[in-house]
Amino acid sequence: MAHPSAEERPLQLRLHPACFDPLSALADWQRNLTAGGAEAPAAEAHFIGRVRGRTAHGAALEALELEHYPGMTETQIERIATAISHRHGLLAVRVDHRVGRVLPGEAIVLVAVAADRRGPAQRGGQELLEALKHEAPFWKREWCGGVGTWVEGNTAF
Amino acid sequence: MSTASITVRLFASLREQAGWGELSLAITPDSPSPTPASLWPQLGLGAAIPPQVRVAVNQAFSALDQPLQSGDEVAFLPPISGG
Repeated sequence: MAHPSAEERPLQLRLHPACFDPLSALADWQRNLTAGGAEAPAAEAHFIGRVRGRTAHGAALEALELEHYPGMTETQIERIATAISHRHGLLAVRVDHRVGRVLPGEAIVLVAVAADRRGPAQRGGQELLEALKHEAPFWKREWCGGVGTWVEGNTAF
Repeated sequence: MSTASITVRLFASLREQAGWGELSLAITPDSPSPTPASLWPQLGLGAAIPPQVRVAVNQAFSALDQPLQSGDEVAFLPPISGG
């Protein structure tokens, strides 16, 4: 059976206000890809990001707070995912992202993409993750010793 | 008759700096269209938009000189840190 295009199988996007299990989310996405007996994509690339236990300055982190722009954040991720899917010929995309207060060790982001080859899958997944970091309206605040500090910019690649 | 107005939204560090997250600014229909850049000095956040601040109009990234109309939502966004 032929694989549906990205237009026929749109982005699955979830913003989670509470802790989520990225492996369960991934399994849910994979079940959806093969629903109705469809053949599983030949290539998938996955990225799971977790909150590290240290602030940008090396202090013990209590929690990371994630603010977003309801409405624009979802729309912007759709725009990014659609453009990258077209550019790399991706078959499907899944994005899960936390909002609210996230504790060290908890998952903050899952990016999963499906393609027919490993190159488009890996390149498309990497490009999507970097675009999320720079082009989707999220803001992080590090909490340490009861004091919150807004993070300006992203960690090193 | 309803008053012509634009909704202004601030997020994260800008919201806390200003002490508010959303307000409605009345505009005069007969005067030239305001832009994000022309509204900024009214927000109490300094004279000019800092270079790292981005603008969204109706929830899409926009230019600082985008003409605004009544009913538009303009947001000023500090540096993004997602993912």
